[in-house]
Amino acid sequence: MHNLLAFLTKYYHWFIFLFLEVISGVMLFRYNSYQGSVWVSSANSVVGKVYEWESGLTQFFSLVERNEALTRRNLLLEQQVQYFQEAMADAREDSVQSLQKMMDHLGNYTFIPAKVISNSIDRPDNLITIDRGSKDGVEVDMGVACGTGIVGVVYLTGDHYSVVIPLLNTQSRISCAIRKKGYYGYVTWPGGSSVIAYVDDIPRHAKFKVGEWVETSGYSSIFPRGVLIGKIIDIDDSADGLSYRLKINLSTDFSRLRDVCVITEKDFAERLRLQEAALDSLALQRNRN
Amino acid sequence: MMLDTLRRLSVFIILCLAQALVLNRIHLFDCAIPLLYVYFAIIFPRNYPKWAILLWCFFMGVIVDAFSNTPGVASASLTLVGVLQPYLLELFLPRDFDFNVKSSVSTLGFGNFASLAAFLVSIYCLMFFLLEQYSFFNWLYWLECVVGSVLLTLVLIFPIESIRK
Repeated sequence: MHNLLAFLTKYYHWFIFLFLEVISGVMLFRYNSYQGSVWVSSANSVVGKVYEWESGLTQFFSLVERNEALTRRNLLLEQQVQYFQEAMADAREDSVQSLQKMMDHLGNYTFIPAKVISNSIDRPDNLITIDRGSKDGVEVDMGVACGTGIVGVVYLTGDHYSVVIPLLNTQSRISCAIRKKGYYGYVTWPGGSSVIAYVDDIPRHAKFKVGEWVETSGYSSIFPRGVLIGKIIDIDDSADGLSYRLKINLSTDFSRLRDVCVITEKDFAERLRLQEAALDSLALQRNRN
Repeated sequence: MMLDTLRRLSVFIILCLAQALVLNRIHLFDCAIPLLYVYFAIIFPRNYPKWAILLWCFFMGVIVDAFSNTPGVASASLTLVGVLQPYLLELFLPRDFDFNVKSSVSTLGFGNFASLAAFLVSIYCLMFFLLEQYSFFNWLYWLECVVGSVLLTLVLIFPIESIRK
């Protein structure tokens, strides 16, 4: 007994060491199995606050440049509006009605503006932190987009901050379609350059050209239809030769991401519930067989 | 003791913030990241309570993890460094040392301190990148990251050490 006590007092720090390593191991593996780690990530409010201060500071220094970019964009959009109005008037369509149709389509979605407070683009598993959390209505699996196109999908939410898995993450898979052609595939990013991504599973019989646009398909409830993803710059065969693999140039510049929108669908909760119910019943059936 | 703890705490906060806000953004040649906070684990004096070293290191790791969204990676590696530091310091002591000798260039001599720092930083980087990349592991990239980060970290540690008294 005495020896045991002597042994414990002499080597007790090794037990502390083992204990702390076990805690680290638990954190390491819990995080990979989804959720539960809001405390040890940048969705934690203290870390979020620090990042917010920092981004507020850096934002201030880039204001001039951003203003210029916004003005340019505004001009461009105004020209487009002008052009489309004229085109519409030419077509002699009932313009009120078509506007109504457009609003109805987008009316299902609401947008929560958010600011990016931390971002990385040079790792295989990049993550983005934004300054809106569950108290602002952000939920896991909602889509995130910015003015120039798609950004990613919400992965974790804290009270006031959330972590987003951007397109630039080897684990992200976002379903997409070729604009106006309607062939479906999904976008993945294998690492490397932050402006290049790949579209897989485009069927062999599809007809399209380099230079056409890829956009979200609207099949999943995460994104509305028609959010820009990128432009096709190369067409290649997939590894198994059964489909096409497209190289695309992303329309979003992830290295300068600042203002984004979280897209929420009004009946998001209902759709999610329905999907879960469907999965449950499938599992039930499988068990029966 | 109190004063020492306060001083250590301020170094702790400064290193965490420096890592989170500045150093984590640096990726030289796509692989080398300066991991300056390991410096915190190197400078514990001889006969500092071992449990305290472990706790300091663990919490430093947790905070760095929280800022870089890598839960468990830095904390596991830094705790390992924390448990090895007292034994390695013992190895590099000069002949005529005080009982509570500090771990710094002025007390150990440059050669000894440099070897100590190089050892601990290498152990840290080996462990850190092993855990960070274990899901899709690539030997060559792993080695590049380890070697690059060890060099970059040491390059940062020596000037800071020369400023410190």
